[in-house]
Amino acid sequence: MDKGLLAYLLIPLLSAVIIPFAARNRPKLADILANVTLLAGLANLAWLALRPSIIRGEFADIPGDGFSLLLVAAVYLVALCVTFFSAWFIEEGLPNRSAYYSLILVSVSAMCGVVTTTDFFTLYVFIEVLAVTSFALITTDESGAGLEGALKYFFLTFPASALIIIGIAVMLMSLGSLSFESLRFFMASDLPAGPVTFGAALMLLGFIIKAGVVPFHTWAPDAYQGAYAPVSAHLAGIVTKVSGVYAIIKMATLLRFFDGRAQALSEMLMFLGLLSIAVGALAALKQTNLKRMLAFSSISQVGYIVLAAGLGTPLAIMGAIFHLINHATFKTVLFLNSASVEKSAGTTDMDKLGGLEHTMPWTSWTSIVALLSTAGVPPLSGFWSKLIIILALWEAGLKGYAVLALLFSIVTLAYFMMMQKKVFFGKKTPAAESSPEVCAPLLAPVVLMSGLIVALGLLFPYFYVYVKMVAERILL
Amino acid sequence: MTTHNLLFVLAAVFALWAVMAKKLLTSAIMLALVSVAVSLIFFDFSAPWAGVFELSVCAGLITVLFIGAVSLIRADEDKRPENRAFAYALPLAAAVFAIAAWFYLPPFFEELAAGRQMAAGGGTIGTALWGLRRPDLLGQVLMLAAGVFVIKSVFPRRTENK
Amino acid sequence: MNLIFIPIVLPIIAALALLLMCEKTKYLKELLAIGTSAVALLAAANIFLLPVQAVSYAWLGTGITFTLRADNLSAFLLLAVSLFSLAISVYSFSNPNKGPAKWFFFNLLMTQGFAAGAALADNLLAMLFFWEGLLVFLYTFIALSQTTYAAKRTAMKAFLINGVTDLCLLAGITITAYIAGTMSMSEIAQNKLTLDYGWSMFAYVLLLIGAVSKAGAFPFHTWIPDAATDSSAAFMAYVPAAIDKLLGIYFLARASIYLFTLNGTMQLVLMTLGAVTILVAVMMAFVQKDYKRLLSYHAVSQTGYMILGIGTLNPIGIAGGLFHMINHATYKSCLFMTAGSVERQTGSSDLSKLGGLWSAMPVTVLCFVIAAAAISGIAPLNGFFSKELVYKGTLDTGYTIFFLAAELGSFLTLASFLKLGHAVFFGERPENLKETKEAPFSMLLPMLTLAGICVAFGFGARLPTNWFISPALAGMNIPHPLLSGFHPDKLYFVSVIVILAAVANHMIGLAIGGGKPSKSSDHIHYAPVLKETYAMAERRVFDLYEVLMDRAVPAVSLALFKADRFFDWAIDAAPSRLSGFFGGTSRRFHNGSYPLYMALTLACAAVYILLAGGLK
Repeated sequence: MDKGLLAYLLIPLLSAVIIPFAARNRPKLADILANVTLLAGLANLAWLALRPSIIRGEFADIPGDGFSLLLVAAVYLVALCVTFFSAWFIEEGLPNRSAYYSLILVSVSAMCGVVTTTDFFTLYVFIEVLAVTSFALITTDESGAGLEGALKYFFLTFPASALIIIGIAVMLMSLGSLSFESLRFFMASDLPAGPVTFGAALMLLGFIIKAGVVPFHTWAPDAYQGAYAPVSAHLAGIVTKVSGVYAIIKMATLLRFFDGRAQALSEMLMFLGLLSIAVGALAALKQTNLKRMLAFSSISQVGYIVLAAGLGTPLAIMGAIFHLINHATFKTVLFLNSASVEKSAGTTDMDKLGGLEHTMPWTSWTSIVALLSTAGVPPLSGFWSKLIIILALWEAGLKGYAVLALLFSIVTLAYFMMMQKKVFFGKKTPAAESSPEVCAPLLAPVVLMSGLIVALGLLFPYFYVYVKMVAERILL
Repeated sequence: MTTHNLLFVLAAVFALWAVMAKKLLTSAIMLALVSVAVSLIFFDFSAPWAGVFELSVCAGLITVLFIGAVSLIRADEDKRPENRAFAYALPLAAAVFAIAAWFYLPPFFEELAAGRQMAAGGGTIGTALWGLRRPDLLGQVLMLAAGVFVIKSVFPRRTENK
Repeated sequence: MNLIFIPIVLPIIAALALLLMCEKTKYLKELLAIGTSAVALLAAANIFLLPVQAVSYAWLGTGITFTLRADNLSAFLLLAVSLFSLAISVYSFSNPNKGPAKWFFFNLLMTQGFAAGAALADNLLAMLFFWEGLLVFLYTFIALSQTTYAAKRTAMKAFLINGVTDLCLLAGITITAYIAGTMSMSEIAQNKLTLDYGWSMFAYVLLLIGAVSKAGAFPFHTWIPDAATDSSAAFMAYVPAAIDKLLGIYFLARASIYLFTLNGTMQLVLMTLGAVTILVAVMMAFVQKDYKRLLSYHAVSQTGYMILGIGTLNPIGIAGGLFHMINHATYKSCLFMTAGSVERQTGSSDLSKLGGLWSAMPVTVLCFVIAAAAISGIAPLNGFFSKELVYKGTLDTGYTIFFLAAELGSFLTLASFLKLGHAVFFGERPENLKETKEAPFSMLLPMLTLAGICVAFGFGARLPTNWFISPALAGMNIPHPLLSGFHPDKLYFVSVIVILAAVANHMIGLAIGGGKPSKSSDHIHYAPVLKETYAMAERRVFDLYEVLMDRAVPAVSLALFKADRFFDWAIDAAPSRLSGFFGGTSRRFHNGSYPLYMALTLACAAVYILLAGGLK
């Protein structure tokens, strides 16, 4: 466990415990406490990583492997956006307001635990905490769909927990230790792989299920669609990415895919990644519900990350990390916008929406920025990560994969354009007539994230240095 | 020796209670107590790793998951009458098992104790929990907090819905 | 700025400045164009008088430099281009038939600038640049001269014919430069290419196509007669009569003599091409019933003499070809100008509606007679001397048949001009032309100037041969004997016989045609075999462009349309239908059924574990 980042785990936990007591009589205090906690953490992180001296030194003085820090930052950022958004989104009468914030803070703690741990069992524990919190969060608005989504999430990812624990058992028996380092040393040695890789494969399968990779994705559309609106942004933006995708990337580096030690596993992972890209994009084409379409889009984008992780070369890992961060930014924007649309127009059915750009210009424009970034249009940040991934594939000689990844990027653009046309462009529908732009605090997070998308795209060289440093450290 | 017996009896009692309980929540909590008893037995027989994992997974995790799931079940579903015929057979089965245990368990414990001497130096509960698996403890704390908040988040609604 | 840039840059700048002017300004555009042409002419004359000079700039990276080089031939050509530009500018001062003044002068000045560039360029690529630029202004010149659909169609015809042949030129230049290893003409000339192997032969043929097509030779001539009816006389006098001939024959001479050393076969090809062009075009010219159209066929026919002269490959013939080039530009420009002034004054160019204008338009008649005599090769006008040189060169090669063909062409030329002159200027004047007056001075001045040049180059044929042709040949390193002088040898008597025969033919024609001069060619037009041939020519059966447009193009465009639809289907409809199908399928699959989802998850997990566990 990385001691340097322990505070980022403990302080939200402390806040989470304080909130119910402090906000007993003043519900608004819960909003403030949660936001302040996350904002303070973010400010601290910024000081840690963005001091001029650190940037000048090409981030050599970053604590830990850099990857953890980056993800902690992403976690805090997305969670801050979600809590800030929720503060104005939640209806006044919601009885469990403070519990909602506590759960979000606990999930932040758990995510920080996931990304800072160096032991498989601890990883497992934190992932389970995350599962419990998100499953309670999904049902926040106690709708039938939310309950159904929560139960699907719960039961369909249950095999993942079982597989991970079995994998851990196999690994403990064959390797005698559960720390990341011991697996790394084992894979670097010449010892025959045998049951160790099998144990790792079982764990990997668990993470694949948690990440919602096709064909284990079936829980994702229902969960994202049914979830309480800001929670779907939280889930899609960061929770499933940390509990599944982060672990996959970590496993990919530990299993040393790049030197061909676990060839079969690497190939399988890449195949699943491509399958995800394809199925997610194609299914998204035909969706009529905005949130469900975004869920499939999320599956498709996770496919890119998994594809790159499965390749495992340093360049591919860089692309995967970068795309993970980008995915957090643009998917948060899109899901929060869908929440705004839901609040304003009362529905997320795309057949009933239309012409919202006149009444909701900010929402429309931030959506455009986010969707262009998702589709990989330069100079937005999504372009660079996709470019790196496709370059890595091409460099590794996997031209077919590269071409298909590129093609489905076009499909991505197609379904997003369709979405934008149906929801924001065109003639106003009756539902759109009476839907004013949401208030400024609800727009602030999406505008911030859109700005970040543009900034990450334009300041790509700095970010590239950082991600390169990360890839070097975690692959050494 | 007496601790073993005591813990064993406790585990059996909790297990019975879990099966017999009318409320699902009680069942879940009793199951957690079974796990705690079993993990204490593990510690006592110098298997700290097994004890730690038993404690983490079964006593912590699974319980919270159970509680979470239980809390989702609506009040009206809760009230559906349940066929409890099997419950009457249970004390009988327990009695049969207790008699068998009276004869067979002491030799079994002695055998296990011999094993403990072979694996001497496995450490105490404290070193195993605190020295080896400290991050897990943090996870457990988080887990407990999560469990509390889940209950806090879900139960008010149930009462309101009534 | 180097003097050599003035004839190129000044007209282009002036042309762009013209576009800024209001359409309503009177005389301003005309005066600007005239002034620009005059300055350009002075600069050209200055360049001509100075010794050989060159400027060179690094252009498209290594090996390709932008080089302008005013050697004797180029300077001579530049002088001619500038002279005709000035003549046409003056002529168009008060000519309403030229179309919108702004666009007319814009096109004129642009053509002048690019033609000057093409004449001066030493680098083949630079020449090609200017050459292709001319193509653009050829199109706009015709298309903007009239507002009719026919003008657009003819403009497109001219554009396509010249565009295709310019592509041939492009390919030829590329291959030539590749073989020679340089793009500079003067460098290639130091080590001339031979036609010994296939690629260089191919390159030369491509260059030849480009050059003769520019000059308007058979079979690339078909747009010229159409342009004669569909655009203005000023355009005809400027582009097809002067500029195109000058540049085409200039580059033909460059390619055939300067860049390549030709062999006997290619000599035969060139001479045949020349003879065929002479005969085909003059046969068509003879039966035309329209002033400008008749002249335009002659413009094609005379090209044949030039190609024939250069094709002889001996110094006399080449000198004759080049001399004929400048002579032809002079009298044909003059003739088109007379056509323009007759059209302006009477409103018609149909031979059957004109007649007896000699008393009404005496100056125009004078110019016409001089120019017509010159084109017919009547001594001692300039056309006689250049034709004499061509004949002599042809006889020197030993192929008497080409000489005979050329003489036959000469006979028909004279016959058709007898018919034309008689029909327009003599005979009876129709009732509606009683009030016709002489053309304005601004139109007469350039006509008179050019007619004067015809006379001057005839009586003083020594001047142009010594000043222009000899240095040009010397510049291309061709040793040559004395060229000038009047030779009362057998060639002269042959020409006298031709004149007498033509007059006799005209008499016969008049007698058969019932005294109507416009029908004096009918006895040949409706002769047994020729009648059908002419009828087919009228239906444009021999026009390669029209045949292609009618037969090949619809089929090809239909095929391309089908192919385009297919590609459209393949990249648009098919993928969207395919993705729609898969999208719909996957949408139906995600029906929310928990058992289905769980079964899928467990089944796939089982497959995964089997694969990871070493089944593979």
